[in-house]
Amino acid sequence: MIPTHWFLILSAVLFAIGVCGVLTRKNGITIFMSIELMVNAVNLTFVAYARQFHQLHGLIFVFFVMAIAAAEAAVGLAIFISLFHHRETIDVDEANLMHW
Amino acid sequence: MFEFAIFFFFAAVAVIFALVVVLHHNPVVGALSLVASFFALAVMYVLLEAPFLAALQVIVYAGAIMVLFLFVIMLLNLQHQPEEPTRPVQQFLGYTSSATFLIGLVYYIVKYAAFTALPAGPFNSDAGLIGAEIFQAYIFPFEMVSILLLAAIVGALLLSSRSVGARAQ
Repeated sequence: MIPTHWFLILSAVLFAIGVCGVLTRKNGITIFMSIELMVNAVNLTFVAYARQFHQLHGLIFVFFVMAIAAAEAAVGLAIFISLFHHRETIDVDEANLMHW
Repeated sequence: MFEFAIFFFFAAVAVIFALVVVLHHNPVVGALSLVASFFALAVMYVLLEAPFLAALQVIVYAGAIMVLFLFVIMLLNLQHQPEEPTRPVQQFLGYTSSATFLIGLVYYIVKYAAFTALPAGPFNSDAGLIGAEIFQAYIFPFEMVSILLLAAIVGALLLSSRSVGARAQ
């Protein structure tokens, strides 16, 4: 049986990769995929702790996180489609209408 | 021992494909790598004795959500649009701050969350138990999530269809 902290370290690595993607990329869809990566890293942590403490609540929370991620993906991608139709690009630096 | 071999192989797969998502300039390659990374995470869920969530991960994430991403990337024809490089300052700050963040996270996991005691006995988490818990203790959040999904679908339709109408005028 694999100790829980290996899963936690894998989850930390995936989360840091996601943070790196959000901070360094300009393509809106790539930033969005990095956010999905971070959500999945957190899900892995939930499942690892659920097994460690024999609690079903962690697994149910992962279920809800997946549903929220689906809703978030639908709305976010609709926003990017709308942005593309207005600006012909999904570079997030171009979406600066409310910039000072 | 065999379990450890599977764990390290699929952990390497997940991390390498996640790096491809972040570093590759073509979003189609990124989306397909993210699918591979999610499959490796489904294997992790199986190793963690949560087969129901592994199935959900493959069906909902790798199946539904990533198909939505790929569909939008191909609809907008983004693979021919070169992405402007970010400023060197931003790249340097992004890489160093995320590396610092990773080192801090791993340090605290090793310091405080390195469980020496393995979980006692097998963890029974089949779909029946999870379903019973959802429909008894978590019935209100479950209904809220269904309303949220409905609102998200209506919002997504409204956002994308209005922009098409505005373009046609």
